[in-house]
Amino acid sequence: MDALPDFQLLRPASLGDVLKARTEYPDARLLGGGTDLMVNIRRGIVAPTALIDMKNVTELRAIKADAKGIEVGASVTLTELAEHPEVGKYYPVVAQAAAHIAGPTHRNMGTVGGNICLDTRCIYYNQSEWWRSANNHCLKTTGTICHVAPKSRGVCFATFSGDLAPAFLTLGAEVDIIGAAGLRTVPLNSIYIGFARQDTPVTETFGDGKYYLSLRPGEFVTAVRAKNISGLRSAYDKIRIRRSIEYPVAGVAVALRREGDNLVDLRVAFTGTNPRPVLLTGTERLCGRTFDERALKGLEELVRDQVMSMKTTFTPGHYRRRVAGVLARRLVTRLFNS
Amino acid sequence: MNETVPTHNIGGYVPMIDGPEKVSGRAKYTADFISPGMLAGRIYRSPYSHGEILEVDVADAFKLPGVVSIVTGADCDKTFGVLPIARSEHPLARDRVRYRGEPVAAVAAVDDATARNAIRRIRMKVRELPAYYTSHAAIAPDAVALHEKKPGNIERDVLFELGNVESGFADADLVREGTYNCAEVCQNQMEMHAAVAEFDAVRNRMTVYASTQVPYYVHLMLSQILDMEMSRIRVVKPHVGGGFGCRTEALNVELIAALLARKSGGTVRLMVNREETFITHRGRPETDIRLKIGMTKSGRITAVECECYQRGGAHSGYGVVTILYSGSMLYAIYDLQNVKYLGKRVLTNTPPCGAFRGHGTVDIRFAFEGLLDQMAGELGIDPFTVRRANYLKAPTFTANDLMVNSYGLPECLDWVEKESGWKTRKGKMPKGKGLGMACSHYISGASKPVNWTGEPHATVKIKLDFDGSIIVLSGAADIGQGSSTILVQTVAEVLGLDMGRVRVITGDSDVVPKDNGSYSSRVTFMVGNAAIDAAQNLKALLIKAAARKLDARPEDIECLGEVYRAGAQDKGATFEEVVTEALKDSGTITVTGNYSTIPESHGGKKYRGAAIGGTMGYSYSAQVVEVSVDEDTGVVTVDKVWVAHDCGKALNRLTVEGQVQGSVWMGMGQAMSEEAAYHDGLMVTANMLDYRVPTIQDSPPIETHIVESNDPHGPFGAKEAGEGSLAAFLPALTNAVADATGIRFNDLPMTPDRVFETIEKHRRTQSRGNGARADSNGGT
Repeated sequence: MDALPDFQLLRPASLGDVLKARTEYPDARLLGGGTDLMVNIRRGIVAPTALIDMKNVTELRAIKADAKGIEVGASVTLTELAEHPEVGKYYPVVAQAAAHIAGPTHRNMGTVGGNICLDTRCIYYNQSEWWRSANNHCLKTTGTICHVAPKSRGVCFATFSGDLAPAFLTLGAEVDIIGAAGLRTVPLNSIYIGFARQDTPVTETFGDGKYYLSLRPGEFVTAVRAKNISGLRSAYDKIRIRRSIEYPVAGVAVALRREGDNLVDLRVAFTGTNPRPVLLTGTERLCGRTFDERALKGLEELVRDQVMSMKTTFTPGHYRRRVAGVLARRLVTRLFNS
Repeated sequence: MNETVPTHNIGGYVPMIDGPEKVSGRAKYTADFISPGMLAGRIYRSPYSHGEILEVDVADAFKLPGVVSIVTGADCDKTFGVLPIARSEHPLARDRVRYRGEPVAAVAAVDDATARNAIRRIRMKVRELPAYYTSHAAIAPDAVALHEKKPGNIERDVLFELGNVESGFADADLVREGTYNCAEVCQNQMEMHAAVAEFDAVRNRMTVYASTQVPYYVHLMLSQILDMEMSRIRVVKPHVGGGFGCRTEALNVELIAALLARKSGGTVRLMVNREETFITHRGRPETDIRLKIGMTKSGRITAVECECYQRGGAHSGYGVVTILYSGSMLYAIYDLQNVKYLGKRVLTNTPPCGAFRGHGTVDIRFAFEGLLDQMAGELGIDPFTVRRANYLKAPTFTANDLMVNSYGLPECLDWVEKESGWKTRKGKMPKGKGLGMACSHYISGASKPVNWTGEPHATVKIKLDFDGSIIVLSGAADIGQGSSTILVQTVAEVLGLDMGRVRVITGDSDVVPKDNGSYSSRVTFMVGNAAIDAAQNLKALLIKAAARKLDARPEDIECLGEVYRAGAQDKGATFEEVVTEALKDSGTITVTGNYSTIPESHGGKKYRGAAIGGTMGYSYSAQVVEVSVDEDTGVVTVDKVWVAHDCGKALNRLTVEGQVQGSVWMGMGQAMSEEAAYHDGLMVTANMLDYRVPTIQDSPPIETHIVESNDPHGPFGAKEAGEGSLAAFLPALTNAVADATGIRFNDLPMTPDRVFETIEKHRRTQSRGNGARADSNGGT
């Protein structure tokens, strides 16, 4: 990794000033903790002329969490989120996910907005300028081929690795997005469009590892919000090879409700597998009865159908997919029986 | 009566003398030597794995404003390499490139951004040649030779048989064979490579600041590459942020910096980034081992047959030594009489490997200790019993003529066995938990240096002047391991003085005596002995002066450190008074201390390469590792490590314990998560994220015990402490996992995905009704 190239550093103090700065520098990037962006800049993956430091935008630094709901500003640090007592009490899946991101120093710097919008990753992409050039570049940058799937016909398979997204997805969260056209609020799940299907061309609403967010040019996430659901039990777990300096090999968030002997609500979301965080669909078919071996089989089938890991990391894709299923099975069983 | 007593420090917990500078950030490393007008250097590296160079076009780059000079292979037709017999490498490739990342050209420019832009404008054309990324592919019959003089891409093959292997196997009750694979690993020291070269065009002199373990070898190679007299060159080694062997030879970085500085007629700073540091490499080669051992029912080893292939990369480096070490260091830990070794060092289109901590011994030890464990299990005897059945009896010479004078392995084994509760816990662990043990050893410096000149192995000078401060001058390269602290300790100890009186000056070829450098764990042993010799010589001078001053005979003078006296009733003279008296003879005092190994330690001539592995003293280590294995995810957790290390005598318990624990960590990295992996010859894992060195968050509790066997030749009895405990971790871990799961992992690193896959395979085998043990390589 090289020394940083020159760029303008802008330090707006309000959202209004951020929007102005974005108009003035259309290629500017927002700087949260920089734990991902600065690495990519030093590798020459992105070369923005300006960085907009969000640290002084106090509107985005609040955590509101109680028995009614949770709302977290985009500039809240991962440490602040992980250590917030009410978050831990009412939204354990969020606190646990935040507490397991990378290492302590990354969490002190990294922000909620940055993790939710984390750039997708791939061993052919997260490399130096020299490396990528010697490897003839790739789809996600300036190349014409995806080295993970050379016959992918223009589809990029870079993997989404943020830990907070699956946690918030199991809570049915929504996000505030601001841009030149104003503020809009959408379901969190709707911003992740990295479907990456080889038989479907990439469009504005159906993306891949390169076009993995539905945000329009100039837009950015300002807050994530969810209502508390009474009786919801939730937890997060992940596999990683080290306990620091590590993106998830596979991460799983689970939230469920149990009434008597019956599972009545089940949400399972994954990260580190697909070009988007995957909120399993079809889990309602496992509800309305107890969670037994048959239900476990059903869960495994859903995972097998929807979780797709390619060779985007040094750890083989089939392992990530299998182990994601193992974690899901364990978490669901544990929460159901707790 | 005077109450003064000599001050002692040896054997204590002594903080390193350079600690304050390092923890406060004041310590200057090579890249910190910034001067006005200094140019920024940058290397253009080959994007090709293997090809004949047709053209290196730098014209466009040279047109860029701010570019001062560009060097290519055309600027230097000389070669370098640490072994006089294997100098095949050009600082900048000529005629041919042999690995992706090999330096082809370099730019000196007014600043880093300009240098970077200039690099982007360089173009090269090659006629591509077939590239070989595995040992297997490189030695295929029709493979193109990387080097004309090395047909078949064999850098070196070694074959020896000592004793009679065939009859040894015939005497065995059990013969087993295993195949093992250890991935290539890199040192990943904290400081990235850097060099600052200052060329004085008026006087035709070159000064190079280098992040090296071997300033003297850098000096030699600069002279050779620049075609400059050695007397015109000065090499400075500032603080160095680790090395672990990747800096035990001159690297292209310092040589290219010097070429750029001379061509620019000024000063060039060449800092390479982390990826380039990985690619500069000199790590441990990927190694394939086939090992066969014969054993009696009581655990006695009757014969060993070992075949070893090392994927050495595109140039030799230390390669010849590595493949020889792997054979000779089968010995000197157990009593082996019948051994056959076949080693092949292979040239491949990957970056050149080198001398990684535990040089040549680690992968072989992994295989050996794993197979012992497996055979102990089959014979129904305890793994400790197997080791004990094969002890050496020091003093002795091994069957391959290695001299062993002190042997603390039994005490190491006893301690880890007791402290881990082995006897009561082994075999009774709950499901998914296991205990494993293994041993290892290492040399305390090679008895014959690679550049043999006939000089003493180490020379230390001490200067003493009017101020009464003791200045130790040594070329020993402190790279963070603490050699300067040891120098201060040994000199202070001999003179009975507080360490505060002693200062050390190292790392400047204009000032300090030559030293071969910090590698093969030679410094404490050899330079420590030279420092003791120098201090004793100084003490003799001071005693003579004290005798004169006190009007007594020298043999009656008692040195109490700060006071010299003639008998217990004598008030004596203070150290300062004695110094003043001593200076009357000669003015400023300088004394010399030397150390040379004894010929008996050099190894014999029983076979080709027999001189390798000889040392004045071997360290020994035993470890017990406790693990938990999550069989559903393949995640292995090291719960605890017990490690005992025989370092002869701990001169500084703090640094010995640090070195032993560091060895365990490094072994843990190689065993569990580290791997230099390539995509068509491009190193995929050349960064701190994908090359997974264990972090402090991954560290298990490590119980460390020091065994002191008091080597008769060691300084105060000391031997090696920095490398010997690395190797034992690997097999102790896999043996523990075998205990926990019933599965042997013969391929490293055992990352969760590999563990998962192997367990799955094992389960499939079992569900087919086949109870055979599954190995990670599919063998048994």
